[in-house]
Amino acid sequence: MKCVILAAGEGKRMHPLTYTRPKVMLPIAGKPILEWNLLNARAAGIKEFIFIVNYKSEMVREYFADGKQWKVHITYINQGEPLGTAHAIATVEPFVSDCIVLCGDTIFGVNDIKKIAQKGNKIGLIDVEDATEYGIVELKGKQIKKIYEKMEKPFTTLTNAGIYHFNKHIFDYIRKTEKSLRGEYEITDSINMLITKEPMEAIFLKEWRDVVYPWHLLDANEELLKKMKPRNLGIIEKNVTVKGTIVVGKDTVIRSGSYIEGPVVIGSNSKIGPNCYLRPYTTIGNHCHIGNACEVKNSIIMDYSNVPHLNYVGDSIIGQHCNLGAGTTVANLRFDKNIIPVVLNGKKINSKRRKLGTIMGDDTQTGINSVINVGTMIGNNVFIGLGALAKGEIKPDAKIL
Amino acid sequence: MCGIIGYVGYRDARTVLIESLKRLDYRGYDSAGVAIIDKKLKIYKEVGEIAQVEKQIPLLKGTTGIGHTRWATHGAVTKENAHPHLSCDKKIAIIHNGIIENFTKLKEELKKKGHIFRSQTDSEIIAHLIDEAYKGNLENAVIAAVKKIQGSYAIVVVSEDEPNKVIGVRKESPLVIGVGDSENFLASDITAFLKYTNRVMFLNDGELCTITKDTISVYDINKKPIKKKEELITWDIKDAEKSGFPHFMLKEIYDQPDTVNQVLRGRLSEIEETVTFPENVEHLLNNDITSIQIVACGTSFYAGLVGKYLIEQLTNIPVFTELASEYRYFGTRNESSLVIAITQSGETADTLAALREAQASGCKTLVITNAIGSTATRITDGYILQQSGPEIGVAATKTFTSQLIVLLLIALKIAIIQKKIGSDELYNTIFNLKELPRHAREVLERSDDILTIAKHLKNAKSIFFIGRGINYPLSLEGALKLKEISYIHAEGFAAGELKHGPFALLTKDTPVVAIVTQDPTYEKMLANIGEIKARGSPVIAIAEDKDTEIENHADYVLRFPTSSQILPSIQITIVLQLLAYHVANLRKCPIDKPRNLAKSVTVE
Amino acid sequence: MTKKAVILAAGEGKRLRPFTETMPKVMLPVANKPLLEHVFDAVKKSGITEVIVVVGYKKEVIMEYFKDYTDIKITYVTQDRQLGTAHALLQAEPYIKDSFIVLAGDNIIDSKSIEALMKDQSDYSLLIKEHPHPSKYGVVFVEQHSIRRIVEKPKEDVGKYISTGIYKLPKSVFKDIKQCSSEGIHALSAVIQSIIDKGAHINTILAKAWMDVVYPWDLITVNEAMIQETTASTSGVIEKGVTLKGPVSIGKDTKIYAGCYIVGPVIIGDGCEIGPNTCIFPSTTIGNNTVIHPFSDIRSSVLMDDTHISSNSHISHSVIGKGCIIGDNFSTITGKTIIEIDDEFKKLETPIGAMIGQDSIIESHVVVDPGKIIGRKCIISPLNHITKNIASESKVI
Repeated sequence: MKCVILAAGEGKRMHPLTYTRPKVMLPIAGKPILEWNLLNARAAGIKEFIFIVNYKSEMVREYFADGKQWKVHITYINQGEPLGTAHAIATVEPFVSDCIVLCGDTIFGVNDIKKIAQKGNKIGLIDVEDATEYGIVELKGKQIKKIYEKMEKPFTTLTNAGIYHFNKHIFDYIRKTEKSLRGEYEITDSINMLITKEPMEAIFLKEWRDVVYPWHLLDANEELLKKMKPRNLGIIEKNVTVKGTIVVGKDTVIRSGSYIEGPVVIGSNSKIGPNCYLRPYTTIGNHCHIGNACEVKNSIIMDYSNVPHLNYVGDSIIGQHCNLGAGTTVANLRFDKNIIPVVLNGKKINSKRRKLGTIMGDDTQTGINSVINVGTMIGNNVFIGLGALAKGEIKPDAKIL
Repeated sequence: MCGIIGYVGYRDARTVLIESLKRLDYRGYDSAGVAIIDKKLKIYKEVGEIAQVEKQIPLLKGTTGIGHTRWATHGAVTKENAHPHLSCDKKIAIIHNGIIENFTKLKEELKKKGHIFRSQTDSEIIAHLIDEAYKGNLENAVIAAVKKIQGSYAIVVVSEDEPNKVIGVRKESPLVIGVGDSENFLASDITAFLKYTNRVMFLNDGELCTITKDTISVYDINKKPIKKKEELITWDIKDAEKSGFPHFMLKEIYDQPDTVNQVLRGRLSEIEETVTFPENVEHLLNNDITSIQIVACGTSFYAGLVGKYLIEQLTNIPVFTELASEYRYFGTRNESSLVIAITQSGETADTLAALREAQASGCKTLVITNAIGSTATRITDGYILQQSGPEIGVAATKTFTSQLIVLLLIALKIAIIQKKIGSDELYNTIFNLKELPRHAREVLERSDDILTIAKHLKNAKSIFFIGRGINYPLSLEGALKLKEISYIHAEGFAAGELKHGPFALLTKDTPVVAIVTQDPTYEKMLANIGEIKARGSPVIAIAEDKDTEIENHADYVLRFPTSSQILPSIQITIVLQLLAYHVANLRKCPIDKPRNLAKSVTVE
Repeated sequence: MTKKAVILAAGEGKRLRPFTETMPKVMLPVANKPLLEHVFDAVKKSGITEVIVVVGYKKEVIMEYFKDYTDIKITYVTQDRQLGTAHALLQAEPYIKDSFIVLAGDNIIDSKSIEALMKDQSDYSLLIKEHPHPSKYGVVFVEQHSIRRIVEKPKEDVGKYISTGIYKLPKSVFKDIKQCSSEGIHALSAVIQSIIDKGAHINTILAKAWMDVVYPWDLITVNEAMIQETTASTSGVIEKGVTLKGPVSIGKDTKIYAGCYIVGPVIIGDGCEIGPNTCIFPSTTIGNNTVIHPFSDIRSSVLMDDTHISSNSHISHSVIGKGCIIGDNFSTITGKTIIEIDDEFKKLETPIGAMIGQDSIIESHVVVDPGKIIGRKCIISPLNHITKNIASESKVI
């Protein structure tokens, strides 16, 4: 039984983080989303994977290689053009017959994958709060009757979770599928044709984590961190205070005076402290430096980045290879404590959060004592000069002097 | 200049080959063909552009194949001469880009051994040589064949007996490996397969490779394996559309007000009065330059001649502009020379050879090009991109004017670094550069006036272009544009040279286009025009708006607006481009794809 | 539900000269996008996936601009001769199989109104709007949501609803157009009137937000309305000592020098150089490659691409065409005024500054009275006070 994972998408709503990586490589609790799916599928008994890639595929390949590290086998297929989910799945026809297909940017649980893997056509369904954002599904007994496009007034909260079990007939239906209104070949159209001839069982998922906007990663991070078990592969010096669960990677050093309130995950080869304060639901990547007098709270700091001297980072995501100058602080709460609006891709979006710092793309640097306002989206390769103020949306390669 | 593609993998080869050939179309287009292995080797080839040939290619199944679009160098354009070429038993198919210099001798030898040839091309002998040497191992056969050939080549081979592999060889003709997932590509150009993979391995001259669905092996002529690094291509292809213009060339002429801005973007600051280039380029333009050599071909060579005037005027550094194809045969150069190579495509074989010569002599090299990721950008010390957008029409238009502007920016930068330009002159030059788009627009608005004059030229047998000083290379370019697309014989001369020979050709049927600018060359140009008219030839002057005297001398006047001495080159060029375009259009010539010409010349 | 729209974009827009001397009316920019692109945005948001655009005057400008546009499927049809709105619509006939929406490419309309039109069950529907001075337009006489009469530009002040010209029509309308054309009727509204006379019911729906651009000064009002959507988006280089307030959008490779004070909503394009010490106030749009020298102040204005403003200039409620070179100490005077255009005198309700056509050169210390229109490629010498309109390609010594 092979597992096909759709990993070709850019995920424009995840800008600025997806300017330099595909959505499936966004890290949660120290691992890319795609890796969580791989691990859960492997625990469900799957050993053969096919990753359908395209956008920045080299990042997926570099991280996973042939899968040996996880004792699985991974084949890569390049989709060529972003022509929709049905087109993507069609490219693997020569390689599979009976298979599981899942969207790589949503995290699925082990038990759910096991159920989907059982014999017969299956589709995973999930109840959501706001069904206007998803395609909803109509049931007929245990089978699905029809998948609808997203609508303004949905008649059910049961939506298509993005995980399927197909047999090789699906390829015939994909061949018959026409372009949808938005100009793509959608697998939901193919499925609607399939279920007129064959049954497809509805499986109600117990676990499902979808992320649309960058700050959703903070929620997903929190959820996963709550389940972590403590582990220390690094060095924790004397006079470090640890409360709650922490996970420390290989060769990481935590220096004296550091105060860590778990759950917190720290990667490998990182330098923490002395005298820094890490607060709950924070993930620090590999090769990072969190230095003296720094406070990090509910944030994700990606690999090779530095929060090195006298900084505050709260409710934020910092990309890879970033460097915050001494004294750089991030604001994460409005004076009036209202919901924070965000500008993303030139559009105003309601973040629905009262606390949101910054989302910073890769390779960005800030000068000493620079200031970042609430809800600032900063592109990759940006330079924020000494003492400068960053606010709103800052596009890649910009300089605020 | 032919386009080559080889594919082995899991996708339908026919689809992949046709798509790739369409992307390679600009490289050569008088005929096209494919060979696909589906248990048996089947080929299809025909005269015409790939878009037409495509419809006739049968639905051959198979996941291994090779494809080719041809620009004839040897042998007429016929179906038999089109590639792929087959061996006698039709089991081996090859495609070739390049020239086999000793093919006559080899063909004779093969004929004596009983080989029967179906075409007049030099390429076909390759298939027969491989067949002759084939003893069960395709690699060995290809190596044996290659050892016998002299010349330049990129060859891709498939064999029905070894249906899962494609073999390629490179010698002085571009060939790149596309590294895919469960599929691999060989092509003359990265754009052929960029859609399917952005990982490449560059082959060097003398290297061979065998690709299968899952493996790539590169080796030399002694079958010794060569380790290759996989490189990532970070740029993407954007196709251009004609957008309502009847020809790409006309659209590209009209693009020029915008391309002028694009060249300056990020490099010229009016407020700060500076020119900025990337760090490694600025390093090349530092204080130590004592001489500059510019190497290029064709229109880029003429740009280089204008560049000589621009750089010498602003910096007093001696500049020598050389034809790239001649460069290796003469000339002294040393470590304190800066060699500037101009190549729009970045793949022009002659210019690349000159670039390598320069480096071998210890010179620093700077490339001006429009193609990011091209060979030229990879082998040089530094490069400046023209940022003009893709140029589809074969005759260079907007790329010429952007090259002129880059050369002016280089001249300015050196003058600033070496403190040879005063702040007033600098400010005026910058201001004039910023005015260029409006001047370009003004000239474009006078297209109808140019059309009226073109009517007088369309039946001429021979047209001469003359100019002095910086206008002399423009006259060469004007003549080149005209003859390229209208097929009328045209020649450019330094105005002072006419009387030393070419006067003998002047009659009332040989119009002369004279470029006249109000600078120190003005009086002498008027005198030259007088001499020409005395011999009865009609004179068309290209003159400034504010020139009131010229009507008394020339029969017809085409005007252009200007406010500076150093920059009217752009306006004059646009007049010359429109003149060539209108004459060619009146003569109903195929403007975007002139006969016998290809966009990027990759043979020498 | 209807999914296709026909957009009429063939017109020249003579009343918008000098700006329409070099581009069709639909390509005039507000909030840094051509009017047609704003129409595309609204149409797309309402759920329409395919548009047929009828082009004519200077069509290459449209086709070149949208050549990489993939948000919506665009098919171009050409109206070779300007023979009226109905004739323009007729060009789209081969592409229409069902009922469709037709709208002008130079009217700003919101997507919800288009949606309401699409969802309407009647065969014929029209979006109408209340207007204080309906006599400029086609006035609609409505009875119980159904149109009785449309009267183009009535002489007397009658009724308060005007037709936006945005219809939902059935495929059969092409038959009616052809019939009317043989009777010498070429305007779409007249064709619709004849359909009403035959007894058809045209349903009316009130449009939410609709703006028409008829005269050059309308560009200012429409720019101000559309720029409200701007968000604070920064590209380029912002020097130290620059103050940005509110939603200010700054393009790629643009440099804002120290001491600039910019209050949004303001849009600045790509490749510009602003300042130092320049002030830009709300509802100003600046195009690409523009240079503004120190101590200038600009408000409520539209500056198109490639313009060059020298120091100490005061520009308010003005439209500066592409490629203009404005000398130092240039002043526009803003005021409510009576403007003469097309042999008509219009009294403006809102203050207006100067309108300057493409590629004009204005030299030092020039002052322009409110509402004066300076044509294309004009040259105005120093120390001139412009009190009348200046025709294109003239010189003022």
